[in-house]
Amino acid sequence: MFKRIFGESWISITSYKLRTFLTTLGIMIGVAAVVLMVAVGQTVQNVIDESFASMGGNLLIVLPGASTSGGIRTAMGRPTVSRQDMDAMKDIKDVVTTSYASMSGVQAIYGKNNWSVAVTGTTPDYLDVGNWEINRGIAFTEKDLKAAASYVVLGQTVVDELFGFENPIGKTIRLQNIPFMVIGTLKSKGPGLTGDDQDNLILMPFTTLRQKIRGARQPQMINIGFVKVTTEDKLDAVMQRVNYLLRARHNLKENDDDDFTIRNMAELVAQVKKVGFYLSLLLGAIASISLVVGSIGIMNMMLVSVTERTREIGTRKALGAPNKWIMMQFLVESILISFMGSFMGLVLGVGLSQIGGVIFEQNVPISIWTVIVSVSVAIVVGILSGLFPAIKAMKLDPIDALRYQ
Amino acid sequence: MKNRKVVEVDNLTKTYFMPGGLSQQVLRGISFEINEGEFVAIMGHSGSGKSTLMNTLGCLDRPTSGKYFLAGQEVSKLTDDQLAVVRGKTLGFVFQNFNLLMKRTIADNVSLPLLYQGVSKKECYERASAMIERVGLKGYADRIPNQLSGGMQQRVAIARALINNPKIILADEPTGNLDSQTSDEIMSMFQDLNNEGITVILVTHEADVAMYAKRLLRIADGVIEYDGSIKDYFVKEDK
Repeated sequence: MFKRIFGESWISITSYKLRTFLTTLGIMIGVAAVVLMVAVGQTVQNVIDESFASMGGNLLIVLPGASTSGGIRTAMGRPTVSRQDMDAMKDIKDVVTTSYASMSGVQAIYGKNNWSVAVTGTTPDYLDVGNWEINRGIAFTEKDLKAAASYVVLGQTVVDELFGFENPIGKTIRLQNIPFMVIGTLKSKGPGLTGDDQDNLILMPFTTLRQKIRGARQPQMINIGFVKVTTEDKLDAVMQRVNYLLRARHNLKENDDDDFTIRNMAELVAQVKKVGFYLSLLLGAIASISLVVGSIGIMNMMLVSVTERTREIGTRKALGAPNKWIMMQFLVESILISFMGSFMGLVLGVGLSQIGGVIFEQNVPISIWTVIVSVSVAIVVGILSGLFPAIKAMKLDPIDALRYQ
Repeated sequence: MKNRKVVEVDNLTKTYFMPGGLSQQVLRGISFEINEGEFVAIMGHSGSGKSTLMNTLGCLDRPTSGKYFLAGQEVSKLTDDQLAVVRGKTLGFVFQNFNLLMKRTIADNVSLPLLYQGVSKKECYERASAMIERVGLKGYADRIPNQLSGGMQQRVAIARALINNPKIILADEPTGNLDSQTSDEIMSMFQDLNNEGITVILVTHEADVAMYAKRLLRIADGVIEYDGSIKDYFVKEDK
């Protein structure tokens, strides 16, 4: 029996092609908007996740200088934290390892090519805390750090700019006229959260930067320190311990302000993720409005249809159609319309989001949930907007309906 | 043919209750019987209760009181859906304005009553084609009603009324929208069907249309004014 109801409904909606198409359009745009907005929200969240993953999780960041001093932000970046401070932290409970870095802008030269780049003097653990991976060659070691070896590891951008397609491993580049041997290259991370080029960097041992680029008289001070903690729930405790250690090592009295700043990456990550989540929610909510408008369109069309087809309903009833059959026929019509609209909307939404992905060079994910939700929404919208008109059709008195002009 | 009762109406009344406590009695105790194979014309002025009687006989409406046996089944107290089943299985309707589904093929229109009895699509089409041929419209099965003349459309409606082998054909002013020549054709068709043994109940206000019937039920002010041979009635009137 359901097959026959389905057939009758199908013939009815295909008899009024333009009207059906226009009604379908409303739902199609609504679903496409929802799919598109959810995809945008998902992509934003993914970009956030990836960016933070590339910075490493379970991480405390130690910055020299106080964040506030007597309520006033002062002495930011004043060199107060030394590499010895950072090495001392390795003995703190729940600390996996520490690393530190110091940066200098230099001009890198290879053959006829030259490129302006930030050189980072750091420790071998930096690769771990910074989530860097070696692409070709090798990384420098603790031994190289002690020996202040003239080795460099290049980011992908530097490789591209200086070497093009040439293999850089074993070649010598010049930084401030001093030769350095390229021993490795880093895997590309792509653009960062703010669109900056994360791959435009050169890594070398901290000692090498200090002695060869900056000159040996420079103190052993660092620009940034990293403390990698065993698990995320230990971050707060370790933060406290690092604070005690630094205050003790810097001989700070009880009333003195910290001359350093410790940042908890996990907290920051959680906050930015929250913003991303609410952004998705907001986009989805705005898109849902067009879906509601589309479903009102279906209800409107079905009501007009019931009125227009009053005589048909009367005839069908006189010829033996049970009330339930009449109701089902109209209900199935509205479900079919919203189902077709949703399907086309899904295709349109997925298509547009993938085109957008190509244009903005982002991988735009389409989750199975988007599909499941839009199909269920289609059925619910179809039932809700078709129920009232269908009941109206069912309740028509066949005598009045037959007399209707 | 045996005189089997196909319609038995006993003291039928119908009262319409209007808001404000007003009420109007349209049928005031009507009793009659119709045997299988009869050709009955129901006549009466507008407001006489003729349409209400027709709707009640057609199971589209329930009487306020009284009994109505249709093919032996008491139908005056049935629910909407039970009445729908009775209409679909035992009655065939022919309306003044044909009431065809204009967007559907002739075959779909003719087989519409079968749709609600769970007959398969294939069988529907086969039976409809045979019936379309029987009313003289061979080759029109896949056309739509707009491509047919009024007389042809009414033939489609007759085919639709016959498709479920009904006990009675109820024709409500079947020639009201047709010219006189086409009217004669349609009425001859009813006469032929009646000669084949089908019971026909015809509602009309035109005497020359009613003359095709054998028996006349004349309604006035909600009661039967005349019940008997149609020829006798009009012969008397002519005198």
